[in-house]
Amino acid sequence: MIQRYRASAGIMLAPAVTLIGIFILLPMLLTVWLSFQDWSTQTPFSSASFIGLDNFREIFGASSVGRDFKGALTNTAIYTALSVILILPLSVAFGLMVYQHDVAGGTALRTVLFSTYMVPMIAVALVWSKLYSPSEGPLNQMLGLIGIGPQPFLSSPRSALVSIVLLNVWQQMGYFTVLAIAGLTQIPGSLYEAAKLDGANRLEQFRFITLPLMRRTLLFSAVIAIINAVQVFEPVALITQGGPVGSTNVLTYHIRRVGIERAQGGLGSAMAVMLMLSLIVVVCALFALANRKDQE
Amino acid sequence: MSGGSSSRLSRKRPSGRKALLATLMLLVAVASAFPLVWMVLSSLKTPAESMQVPPVWIPHTPSLDAYEKVSGVVNVGRSMWNSLVIATITTAGILSTSMMAGYAFAKYHFPAKSLLFSLLIATMFLPPIVTLIPLYRLVGSIGLNASLAGIIVPNLANAFGIFLMRQFIAGVPDDLIDAARMDGASELLILFKIVAPSVAPAIAALALFAFVYHWNSYLWPLTVLQGNADAYPIVISLSRLLSYNRGAVNTGLVMAGATLAVLPPLILFVLLQRFFVDSIVGSAIKG
Repeated sequence: MIQRYRASAGIMLAPAVTLIGIFILLPMLLTVWLSFQDWSTQTPFSSASFIGLDNFREIFGASSVGRDFKGALTNTAIYTALSVILILPLSVAFGLMVYQHDVAGGTALRTVLFSTYMVPMIAVALVWSKLYSPSEGPLNQMLGLIGIGPQPFLSSPRSALVSIVLLNVWQQMGYFTVLAIAGLTQIPGSLYEAAKLDGANRLEQFRFITLPLMRRTLLFSAVIAIINAVQVFEPVALITQGGPVGSTNVLTYHIRRVGIERAQGGLGSAMAVMLMLSLIVVVCALFALANRKDQE
Repeated sequence: MSGGSSSRLSRKRPSGRKALLATLMLLVAVASAFPLVWMVLSSLKTPAESMQVPPVWIPHTPSLDAYEKVSGVVNVGRSMWNSLVIATITTAGILSTSMMAGYAFAKYHFPAKSLLFSLLIATMFLPPIVTLIPLYRLVGSIGLNASLAGIIVPNLANAFGIFLMRQFIAGVPDDLIDAARMDGASELLILFKIVAPSVAPAIAALALFAFVYHWNSYLWPLTVLQGNADAYPIVISLSRLLSYNRGAVNTGLVMAGATLAVLPPLILFVLLQRFFVDSIVGSAIKG
């Protein structure tokens, strides 16, 4: 019997394991291997030649390759930090709005919020490029109504990256709100009842019950938000092409430009490895922080 | 904040707090819906209305001219068909591979099971750009580049699907499966005839997620197609609208194209949103 199921397990696993092995795990290993090679993306893998750490020296060096990569790394770090800082508090606030029973319409709000998550990023980028339009765009018109002068949004190096963060946050809020609701439903109502008997007001209930019990959810949301943030591509590729003055040149866009368009496969792979390492470090640090808080 | 409807605090002074909350909720809903409402309204404006300052919010004489013009710039029918083919076949693949692997992880014991599972799940957290360069070369070297097959084949299995299916299939009673085995049913038959119907909501959710994700996907199709316009999905065709006749003149055109691309995933969502939300909640809690 056991033998029979072992064969079945093999058959059941074969399609998924083969596909993921060939199209995800193998390319991941190849990325690491290629980061130590001099290789053009237009040639077969066999033409790669080992050059040790030269690719890494170059992307962190003083040449234009190094400047562009370090710029992209910084932009991505700023972009990711801003995304997480905006998404986490908003997701809890919106989650509480949907989850409360005092005012009707929570489910309708959830539907409206989540619908933006279904919209292709390309369509989001197109619509927002027009919303942000400096002269005839509706956002500046509305700011004008409340007495704020026209903003340059995507056309100034000072505001372009933030503008892209905002359109991404707008698109993803529904997803993170649903995650927050999932966390809120896990908190036993009896805790709030007990706190009320002890005379805790709503703010105290939020501070001492809701927030601490949401920590696991917020950690999960933060990890997902970080991994989503480093993938931003469409608005940059479509609207800003990394500009103005490199201010929106983020890693996904930059790595594709170097590794695919300029066919510098070795350099692009070294950049991809650095992205992977940075992600691992940041996510591990987050978990360590959360664990330390748990022990307190 | 507690969500209890019989909360004492809200009974004492309900009106002010409730009014504030209702106003906030309305503001959030309006801010969230505004860009899409504006997109649809703008697609119905005449070019003159699009350029007017101060802007015309609601078109006086709604016209579908912009939609006609989109078809003159890009091949809308062909692109929509390509997107449909890509999203449908990819979804079918993901469903089969995820159900099979999910069943194995939920109901079989085999050596190195947890190691293999962790390895697969780790790929869920890998941003696609990390593997893009070698994958592009790999797919080219097996002759799949610049074709629909090149977009589809690398995406026929993913870790999220396996994870979701394992979570839900684990909840199917073993007795049900053992009874079918006693009757001599094969394992594949058990999976598709007995297990699948009892996890139907999760399958629906995964199908919708996969369909919407691959309908919307841009980076990989753009990379693998190398400018083969015949195989463009709608999102790539759409991206070419922006460069056509830059400036305010094309706003209506761009918004009409965006509306067309948004409709299929949005309609699916409205019809089946319960499954989407339940499965996100399920995967977050059980994860």
